[in-house]
Amino acid sequence: MKTIKTLLRGVATLALALPLFANAAAVPGKAAPDFSVNDAEGKTHTLADYKGDWLVLEWFNKDCPYVKKHYGSNNMQSLQEKYTDQDVKWLTIISSAQGKQGYLTAEEAVKEAKNHKLASSAPFLLDTDGKMGKAYDAKTTPHIFIINPEGVVVYAGAIDDNDSANPAVLADSKNYASAALDEALAGKPVSTPVSRPYGCTIKY
Amino acid sequence: MLCIALLGLLQLPPIQAAERIESDHVVITWLAPEQFATGNTTLGIHFEPDPGWHVYWRNPGDSGAAPRFSFKTENIEIGETRWPYPARLPVAHLVNLGYEKDVAYLFDAQVADAQVGNNGNVHIEADLEWLVCKEECIPGFGLLTLDRPVAAAGEQWSQAAQATLQRFDARIPQSASQSPWKVTGAHWSAADSALRVQVEPQVEGIDLDTIEAPEAFPLDGNWVDPHAPKVERSDNGFEYRFVTLPGMTASATTGLVIAADGMAWEFPEIPVAQGALNQGSGEGVSFWILLISAIIGGAILNLMPCVFPVLSIKLFSLIQTPGQGVAQSKQRLHEGLLYTAGVLSTFFALGAVFLALRAGGAAIGWGFQLQSPLVVFFLIVLFWLIALAFLGSFEIGHRLMQWAGGSQSSSSFMTGVLAVFVAAPCTGPFMGAALGAAATLPAAYAMAIFLGLGLGLALPFLILTASPALSSRLPKPGAWMERLRQFFAFPLFATVLWLVWVLAQLTGQQAWLVSGIALLLLAFALWLGQTGSKLWKLLAWILALVAIVWAGNTLNRGFGEQPGVAVDSEWAGYNAENIAAARVEGRAVFIDFTAAWCITCQVNKKVVLDTDAANAIFSEHDVLRIRADWTRYDPVITEALSVLGRNSVPVYAFYPADGGAVQVLPQILSLDMIRELVP
Repeated sequence: MKTIKTLLRGVATLALALPLFANAAAVPGKAAPDFSVNDAEGKTHTLADYKGDWLVLEWFNKDCPYVKKHYGSNNMQSLQEKYTDQDVKWLTIISSAQGKQGYLTAEEAVKEAKNHKLASSAPFLLDTDGKMGKAYDAKTTPHIFIINPEGVVVYAGAIDDNDSANPAVLADSKNYASAALDEALAGKPVSTPVSRPYGCTIKY
Repeated sequence: MLCIALLGLLQLPPIQAAERIESDHVVITWLAPEQFATGNTTLGIHFEPDPGWHVYWRNPGDSGAAPRFSFKTENIEIGETRWPYPARLPVAHLVNLGYEKDVAYLFDAQVADAQVGNNGNVHIEADLEWLVCKEECIPGFGLLTLDRPVAAAGEQWSQAAQATLQRFDARIPQSASQSPWKVTGAHWSAADSALRVQVEPQVEGIDLDTIEAPEAFPLDGNWVDPHAPKVERSDNGFEYRFVTLPGMTASATTGLVIAADGMAWEFPEIPVAQGALNQGSGEGVSFWILLISAIIGGAILNLMPCVFPVLSIKLFSLIQTPGQGVAQSKQRLHEGLLYTAGVLSTFFALGAVFLALRAGGAAIGWGFQLQSPLVVFFLIVLFWLIALAFLGSFEIGHRLMQWAGGSQSSSSFMTGVLAVFVAAPCTGPFMGAALGAAATLPAAYAMAIFLGLGLGLALPFLILTASPALSSRLPKPGAWMERLRQFFAFPLFATVLWLVWVLAQLTGQQAWLVSGIALLLLAFALWLGQTGSKLWKLLAWILALVAIVWAGNTLNRGFGEQPGVAVDSEWAGYNAENIAAARVEGRAVFIDFTAAWCITCQVNKKVVLDTDAANAIFSEHDVLRIRADWTRYDPVITEALSVLGRNSVPVYAFYPADGGAVQVLPQILSLDMIRELVP
């Protein structure tokens, strides 16, 4: 009896611990989780494709007011432009499930990428089954991850330090993502490697 | 007619003042008085989201955002946002901290003098930003305005607004010092990114199996995950295991709001250790020690000058118990038990009122019933009548004597009730700590402390009646009793005098006149009623009732004065900022927590504190002397007392000049104790 109980407890503990291990994946200082997702034009992207490159992952939902704050003000696009010009790869991911807010078909996504003047390295990545988002434990839109050429996460968190939905605050906000990229590209350690992401919940 | 109607339309203000915002899925209104008065007040902004939608706490959790308030005001100053404690709201795989029904964010405010600017009106513009969410979120922006008069007549609230305000005020976290829980340690481990926090009841010996672990909400959303922590029983309390944001190392300190029984307390700076668990320095007092000191404290109350005459009535009735031998013993024990029941049920009732007020968010202290002018007036009349009856001044006194001191069962019970009421102001040295603990203990344990005090008060009498050997040694009845009873009228008259003085402190100097007139009319009514005629008796009753109702009503309204214990040049009134400033300057501070109805306080004042010798010591060492007068209800002083772990007076606190720890002096002072403070 006792053995069975112990066994059951062990199984239960493992079951509880599993999501924790999964969560621990996209943590600064650790290897980034693998992914394999098609973009709006049908091209497949995997983590291995970006070995040797600096990579930014940005979660997106066109109807989220916080995403609107950063796109409406052109803040996000100018960041994308600035860093892709420095050979950083930038992927913008939609993890909204079909029927949920922010979900786009491939066709719609191509259109939205144009409408938004998206300056990422690829049109939207369509993570409709949420596999990639969950592997990274992406919580909000926008949620930013920065991965170094060795495939190690160096930043995870918010785009900046002001969780207001008002674009007027952008001028006075400290942009964590660009600060981390600037430091990392200069070969310095990232001074704020983690922050609490703010924004809308991702609609898995 | 039409013209008038048109004129009316034309006179509408061009811009409608938005005192109410109806936005997507949320309605926002003010919680404010209809009319302001100069001084401190509390305002609220009330959010009512649609069903299923929610707004956020200061730490919104995994997603979302706390509302932002930016005020532009005239004639009023508005303080920091006070956040009612939240609920955990699971949204998909995330957890938010917020409010699913309605919520009022509260603000302390101070209204400037009505004469200053803006025609004596209060004007507020609140620039709001909020986020209301279901699964999707809608941000909102709006300007809420408020224009209300300031009037000398005082603040006026609509009942509905005040009820809402109170509902959320009760949910505002109080300071950690008032909490029945203490945080004894916090420890972060890098291995599992977990923050473990030890939370224990303030008092040891509490059966934790009977108590639910309180909820705990992290103040720091940037580091601590908002998901409900895993809670486990530890040796002396509970251990909460929060997940921290992966990849982030430990902060030096963290903050929690702990909530239980509809109340909450804030622990803003909990030191976080890495490695070995850090232990809290404060050792809890065992619950059993508190209970025993409550019983001893209660027993000592029997010797207090205000209780003794009342008990003496009871002793007389005991001496006169009819019958002999077993029958007499039985009768005596019966009375002793009834008296005990009277004491205990009164303590139970006071305890229940105390706990109800506490749960409602009111910080109150012991002796609170004497902060009500009506209760004091009732005691004055009662003692006046008993004293007159003792002197034999009126014949119908039999009835009163039966009620207060006769040997009928109901009278024994009533004597118990009375004893509690008059004993309250004489909180003995043992009661201070016990009652202070009762203010912060979980309800069932606080009630046990109250009943312990009652048991102590009743115990001497109960023992006397329960032991035939002891009660047989009572003196025999005789003529001496009449003489002694008359003598006891005089301590009672003295008590009346003292209570009238207390009343004057509470309501103003006119209380002397009003209560004096009431007593005069009562005495006259008694004299009238002594005639045989039924008509005169009826008139006497009417006169007595009119006198009591008129005086009670007048006193209850007060006289608009703001009397207090006289604050002379040496002693300053209580002011937390002055105290803090003095301590920064390196000045020693002595605080006298006192109340007019506290006899021990008055004795200490006359015998020690207000003597030339004490003044010389204080002046020589440049000690800031503060007199915190608690005669009337004062939340600031109640809070200051609770910081010292007390909720009764007297309390004497001394902060040494070197910034050392506060010393709390015994409740009975001597000049030597003052001398030793500043060697």
